[in-house]
Amino acid sequence: MANEYRKELINDRSKKAKQIVSHPLFGFVILTIILAGVQLLFMFTEDIISLTVSKAIAQTLIYAIVGMGFAILLGYAGLASLGTAGFIGLGSYIAGNMLKLIPFPVPYILIIGAVIIAGIVLGGVVGFISLRIEGMYLAIITLGLSEILLELFKTPNQFTGGASGLKSVPWAKLAMFYEMDREKMFFLILGVLFITIVFTINIINSPTGRAMLAMKNSQSAAQAMGISILKYRLLAFVLATIYAMIGGALYVTYLRASNTSSWTLALSLNVLAAVIIGGYRSVWGVLMGTFVIFGLDLAVLKNIDFFNKYPGSSAIFSGVLIVLIVMFYPGGLIRLFADIKTLIKSGIEKWKVYRYGKDYK
Amino acid sequence: MTLQTILQTILSNAHLAGVLVLATTGIMLVFRTSFTTNFAQGMMATVGVFTTAALTSKMGLNIWLGVALGIVLSFLLGLFIDVAIIRKARKVSVVGKQMITMGLVIIIAALIPLIYGTIPYEFGRFIDGNIDFSIGGMDLFITKNGLLILGVAAVIVTIIFISLYFTKWGLGVRATASNETVASMMGINTRVITAMSWSIAGGCGAVAAILMASQSGTVDNSMMVSVQVNGFMASVLGGFSSFYGPIIGAVLIPITKAVVAIYNSLWSGVILYSVILLVVLIKPRGLFGKKDVKKV
Repeated sequence: MANEYRKELINDRSKKAKQIVSHPLFGFVILTIILAGVQLLFMFTEDIISLTVSKAIAQTLIYAIVGMGFAILLGYAGLASLGTAGFIGLGSYIAGNMLKLIPFPVPYILIIGAVIIAGIVLGGVVGFISLRIEGMYLAIITLGLSEILLELFKTPNQFTGGASGLKSVPWAKLAMFYEMDREKMFFLILGVLFITIVFTINIINSPTGRAMLAMKNSQSAAQAMGISILKYRLLAFVLATIYAMIGGALYVTYLRASNTSSWTLALSLNVLAAVIIGGYRSVWGVLMGTFVIFGLDLAVLKNIDFFNKYPGSSAIFSGVLIVLIVMFYPGGLIRLFADIKTLIKSGIEKWKVYRYGKDYK
Repeated sequence: MTLQTILQTILSNAHLAGVLVLATTGIMLVFRTSFTTNFAQGMMATVGVFTTAALTSKMGLNIWLGVALGIVLSFLLGLFIDVAIIRKARKVSVVGKQMITMGLVIIIAALIPLIYGTIPYEFGRFIDGNIDFSIGGMDLFITKNGLLILGVAAVIVTIIFISLYFTKWGLGVRATASNETVASMMGINTRVITAMSWSIAGGCGAVAAILMASQSGTVDNSMMVSVQVNGFMASVLGGFSSFYGPIIGAVLIPITKAVVAIYNSLWSGVILYSVILLVVLIKPRGLFGKKDVKKV
């Protein structure tokens, strides 16, 4: 009797463990813990993880947040936008100016809140534009919008600092008093990333995500099924803009500077590249894409002498990857895992058939 | 603001219109035959101008020979991109094709410093000096180089448009633009038409870039970015669905920008782009675009 009870208990436990492991967020929790560990390693000894690597990881995580918004826009709503860089830039200037101009310590949540409100307004405007203009035209119009923002940043004024950009932005305060520094900011970025991931997964798997997907596949069919194009286009753009602006706010509070030369078309293209290369239909894909495009570039390639000698030349890898992946591997790098899995499974199957004969089951 | 200032501003910026018209012609041709917005237009052109600059300043080649070689290289690059990449990507979606051209931008922009070095080249004017003249008592001048740019651009665009409407090639392009499948069924070799469009786009771009460099005096990696962006804006403003619309847009944009800059030089870019945005919002198909019918 006791034996059976014990068996049941063990069974129950393994069931629970399985439940935890198969939870959709399990992998992300592990990833967050690993990244936090890397940062802790950097804080205690600078031998293994250098400041460059820590900075590179933080920037990559920021771009991963931006990429997640872009993935909702491109992968789920099917709208292509080239305004990402302008939106990130605007977020960074808003956050930077809040820290610089407001005399009393600004709590971080207020900065994020302000950026989100700005994102809703701007995203709504772009969303309305997207109702009139579609497809390839939309990409060009959003590019124009980004140019307008860039011109605004470049114009010499007290808010953006003109061509030289914002400099020496003070560290943010988490609550009213707890001052951040570069090490602590890393954990904040990690936290925001995790929240973003949870939010994104929930959006994707909710009726909203499915409505967006329907809209992407056939607008007319979706409309006939009672899906409001207006609502979901606006929502997609608002979400993407908010993500981009939060990314900008994190950027300026982490690097404490914002430069007009960062917010050009090249950045928009890189975000797009990251999302395409990784696979825009999954959060893991976006994370992978940003690590390939931004992480590899910032942490590894930029420190190789050869690429240092010719600035900008390390981007050649991402360019080749984009062309190859769009042409031959439309699912993105994330499909690689699934493909390898099926390859191994079919290999094992074949081996079993070979070893035991056709009807080994 | 007197009329003289306005006229003089237009004359001083006329070369920008010439350059933009050439670049936009390339964008328009590729769009009509490949059905994709070619983001690599500017970079194809930059390769050409870098070749010219490197050949003439480093190796001391004759300037005209260098120019010819630069144009030929961009021409071949356009051909190569179509034959090796765009043709193979027929089944890729419209946005996918766009992304391929963006990938090409990244590749070429990264390759240029590797091949040509990171130091910007200097580029002399083809002709020095100004032409002074007066209309109705107003003294005006235009640089001889600017006039050359305008002339070259006008001649090339005129040739392209005459061939579009009066030659077999032009008929092929127009047929491909209206419906690729039907055109290929009617015996038009759409592959050749598309490849030709890409190479002409490359050639036109190189001419534009060389002319631009001759006026500004330097050659660097990002010189064609603003031309590229303005080319798209011009195409959207004029309407992608007509052949002449983008050209008119390309003439309007730099001139308007220059005139606005007389009144407010700080915000001229912002004002111009906002106006274009408004126009496109009111007329989504552009000023001269035809409405296309959507089938479910």
